[in-house]
Amino acid sequence: MTRAVRATPVILGLSGLTGLLLLVELLPYTGVVSADYLPPTHRIAAALGDELAEGAFWAALWDTLLAWAIGLTIAVVAGIVVGIVIGAVPVLRALTASTIEFLRPIPSVALIPLAVLLYGTEIQSTLMLVVYASFWQVLIQVLYGVQDVDPVAEETARSFGFSPWYRVRYVLWPTALPYVMTGIRLAAAVALVLAITAELVIGAPGLGSRIAVAQSSNAVANMYALIAVTGLLGVAINLAARGVERLLLSWHQSVRGEVLI
Amino acid sequence: MVAALLGAAACGSSDSPSSPADEGSPTKVTVGVIPIVDVAPIYLGKEKGFFSSRGIDLTMESGQGGAAIVPGVLSGQFQFGFSNVTSLMLAQTQGVPIKVVANGVASTGKDGGDFGGVTVKGDSPIQSAKDLAGKKVAVNTLKNIGDTTVRESVRKAGGDPSTISFVEIGFPQMPAALAEGQVDAAWVVEPSLSVIKAQGGRVVAWNYVDAAPDLTVATYFASNKLMQENPDLVKRFTEAMNESLTYASAHADEVRQVLGTYTQIDQKTRDAITLPQWPTEINKASIETLATLGKNDGVFGDKTPDLSQLLP
Repeated sequence: MTRAVRATPVILGLSGLTGLLLLVELLPYTGVVSADYLPPTHRIAAALGDELAEGAFWAALWDTLLAWAIGLTIAVVAGIVVGIVIGAVPVLRALTASTIEFLRPIPSVALIPLAVLLYGTEIQSTLMLVVYASFWQVLIQVLYGVQDVDPVAEETARSFGFSPWYRVRYVLWPTALPYVMTGIRLAAAVALVLAITAELVIGAPGLGSRIAVAQSSNAVANMYALIAVTGLLGVAINLAARGVERLLLSWHQSVRGEVLI
Repeated sequence: MVAALLGAAACGSSDSPSSPADEGSPTKVTVGVIPIVDVAPIYLGKEKGFFSSRGIDLTMESGQGGAAIVPGVLSGQFQFGFSNVTSLMLAQTQGVPIKVVANGVASTGKDGGDFGGVTVKGDSPIQSAKDLAGKKVAVNTLKNIGDTTVRESVRKAGGDPSTISFVEIGFPQMPAALAEGQVDAAWVVEPSLSVIKAQGGRVVAWNYVDAAPDLTVATYFASNKLMQENPDLVKRFTEAMNESLTYASAHADEVRQVLGTYTQIDQKTRDAITLPQWPTEINKASIETLATLGKNDGVFGDKTPDLSQLLP
């Protein structure tokens, strides 16, 4: 792998982003949208500067990240445990398949009235939505991963008299891990989306509720600045998840193969 | 739906922090508010120590559009909440056990100078409330205080309110919706009202003023459960709230300042907005008018709000 090969996507990505910023800067001048409702980039950037100087902004960012991290952790742990238990026992898998398919497509935001009743505008409301949405992402991937276990390897482990714990640890887990990592990466992004949504709609503390306040104050530039922050947060989370994935799966064909190209 | 809400509310009421205060340690009180101009007195009153001097450790939690506030009060997450009177009467007709404990905000009663009104674009052919008949008018919530009072404006001006088509758009989006011509008129409150005026918009109807003199728009309320379990806390809150309302009425400059602490309304708009009135007296006659308007417009279904249950 040479430096040039790696740098190209980064340069392309950055120029794409620059293009977007330029487009937003120019759009208000073309008359397609009014600068009152989509301020040019430099005004959004100035508003972002103002936000960064506010303590309340950092508190909101912290609240969002906290809800995201706690929610994701709960969803990942629950998804992995439930996925392995259900996946490893065929009867359970058959018994729960229809229930999972029924619950999975329910949009998390539909639970907002319930969340509000149980927890008001506390962080728990956000957590409930985040966990519900991200849990399925992990669970489904774990189930696929468990299904992918080589039956010969599984039978071999059985005939050697491996205990269930050893079979999970040395046969099932290495096969499922790439799937689990995909699930976690998907869940990380979904968790952020839901955390912001919950804050925006319910008013739980965080970037979302700050966006809502900016909106109801007609502070349009600040609102877009905060939205840009959530976008950057999403990029950062995705990059971090990919980094972790590459690190944990460095032994795996999918990652090794990528490096060889 | 409401029955389900109530059922679930009962389950969630376990850990309300509303137990009576020991001597010396203040009672933690959380109030569900909407982060708008209307609730400035409670923020100002907190700053001035009107609540802490009565042993209340006050926290404001802002729910978007008030959707979270009534359920929040029922479940005990909030000890008190802020909501418009029509929403409270609607809740009352559905059997939701809540009661008003203090006045919230009132119309200025001034035709031409209220904090909410029906706006049109500067070049709109609509000249008066009568012209709104047959037009598309934006309100923030359908079947609520906005559309019933707008209908009354049109009726009083001699128009036919039944031909108006109301559409639901959030206040912050209304200036854009009006400018883009998505609606013919928009009922807005501050600060969106100032934004529209600054863009050359006109006000064609002062619907709060038309509905009733010095209309009580919104109030603070508590659950019946809290009223029974901790009447002393309710009494202290009401006193502190009344002191806050009185102080806010007399100190407009400080109100405009405190707005900057919990909203992001810029300085220029803060100086320009028309402030509402904050009397301590609840205008019962105006609430009766709202009840009648709402009933005639079918807001409460086939029920009639029982104001003796709702008002103190």
